[in-house]
Amino acid sequence: MIGTKRTAKAITVGRFVASLVIAAMVIFPLYWMLLTALEPAAAMLSPVIELLPTEGASFDAFVSAFLDMPTLLWLRNSALITIGATILSVFVSILAGYSLSRAHGAGHQAMGLTLLLARMIPGTLLVIPLYALFLNVGLVNNLWSLILIKTTIIVPFTTWMLKAFFDGIPRELEDSAYVDGASRLRALRSIVLPLSGPGIVAAVTYSAVLAWGDFLYARTLLTADAKWPVTLGIVSFFGDNGTQWNSVMAVALVAIVPMLLLFLFTERYLISGLTAGAVKG
Amino acid sequence: MIDTQPTPGPATTPQGQGEPPGRGRRSKATLSRSNERFALALLLPALIFVAALIAYPLFVAIQLSLTPGSFSALRETTGGVSLEHFVAVFSDRATLDELGRTAVYVVGTIVPAFAAGLMIALLLRHRFAGRRWLRSLVLLPWAVPSVAASAIFLWMLDGSLGIVNKVLSALGLIDGPVAWYSSPDTAMAAVIVPTVWKQFPFFAMILLAALQTVPNDLYESAKVDGASRWRQFTTVTWPGIRGAAYAALVIGTLGVYREFDFIYPLTRGGPNDVTSTLAISIYREAFQFSNMGFASALGIVSTLLAAVFVIFGGRIMARNNL
Repeated sequence: MIGTKRTAKAITVGRFVASLVIAAMVIFPLYWMLLTALEPAAAMLSPVIELLPTEGASFDAFVSAFLDMPTLLWLRNSALITIGATILSVFVSILAGYSLSRAHGAGHQAMGLTLLLARMIPGTLLVIPLYALFLNVGLVNNLWSLILIKTTIIVPFTTWMLKAFFDGIPRELEDSAYVDGASRLRALRSIVLPLSGPGIVAAVTYSAVLAWGDFLYARTLLTADAKWPVTLGIVSFFGDNGTQWNSVMAVALVAIVPMLLLFLFTERYLISGLTAGAVKG
Repeated sequence: MIDTQPTPGPATTPQGQGEPPGRGRRSKATLSRSNERFALALLLPALIFVAALIAYPLFVAIQLSLTPGSFSALRETTGGVSLEHFVAVFSDRATLDELGRTAVYVVGTIVPAFAAGLMIALLLRHRFAGRRWLRSLVLLPWAVPSVAASAIFLWMLDGSLGIVNKVLSALGLIDGPVAWYSSPDTAMAAVIVPTVWKQFPFFAMILLAALQTVPNDLYESAKVDGASRWRQFTTVTWPGIRGAAYAALVIGTLGVYREFDFIYPLTRGGPNDVTSTLAISIYREAFQFSNMGFASALGIVSTLLAAVFVIFGGRIMARNNL
């Protein structure tokens, strides 16, 4: 008896220690980022390791990020791309996911599978013809090029994610709406969608994180710095000799915050939603 | 076939009430034809996006790969078809090097990320104080843009002022500062670290969801049989999550295989090309060396390699009845 009690206690302690280590691994880089952003540039030259804010700590780097750098413009571009791609891709994938969930013809499912296979093509290959094509139609340096491309990248995934979610909604509910004379689109809108909140929230989060974090397509298609999203802004600091690390960390932190907030509010829907799409798809 | 909606006419009569079976089936056929059209209409927007911005570009990429000469835009191409770019891809010794580096990057990322994800999923399965916030915290890097994660590690691993060098020299583990990202010996490890940091929550999430489907009574009966914790893992836990784990490994591997957003901002494939994986080389050939034909050929070859991997992975999953 004593032995099992001791084992149980050891396991509890082990779990606690493991939790702390994991939490530290995740949090330390983010904490270090915040600390660097708060410190004056001179403090970084010191060989002493300061793990807490020093007396010189201030929000100057954040203020300067907005006053001296085009951070606000970068955030605006990122927001436009993200909002556009998220609305478009969630709308398109609700329709497609519902269709794949309710219709089971062989050709139909084959098309669904094609959507999935589209995800296999590496972005660095795809961006070559896309650059050539958008150059020809004059959409290089236009935010729409990014909105359309990100939508295309996101849709295959969110479609399968929402399909798995719709699969869990019993058809009998729609059947009773049909008996009452509802049209098929109406049944989707007034019966299925109100029950799909968690799935749609997961799809929105996934789309937003993917659109906001894009670097490859933006770097290739948005060459004019007035069109840069914040990811390109961050990278523009890399590789300078004498990088002002407090400024870089301030801008990077500002770029992380919107996604962190979104993630913290929607996290509980993500596990079921994301995995349904990834595993069953 | 959709069989949900009754249409006006014979199909609305309740089924199984003495109606001849043939008649019911016929009306169902008309019904499903209209439903098939509806289902197709719903799928159409998604198909248009994929056709216009994935399928058609892929076709253009194949064309580019078969167009002779060196060019950086469509209008610079001259006519003709040639396999010279594919010949160059296969005869270039660099292709093999890039493949090797890709393998190192993928395995170096996936193995630790999967191990960490599995450990975290197993830990978070049990109820304990603070489990909710630990879960939110642990999954957080998933939402951080890759470029922002790169920025943090670029700074932490900075050659002169980075915290990692400061800590290691304070501990006496290194003699002088290490230039992690600009030294050919350490650059690959230095790009792997942030990739792992961002990648492991993906595995944790999928495995966590899979663990929730393993019935608790299986553990109870294993305990009654006196199974050790390790035995419980091998006989109950792992069989229960194996399917999800393999699927996550295939998807995760494909994602890291084509990764661009960490390596390119951090090292641009350097120093001395040591971090130039296939994905990075494709991009550099196209946009740095203005060699779109060769880049497209290399991209197509690497897509085919990914396809072989997926088919192979699918075979393994089918063989194990997953």
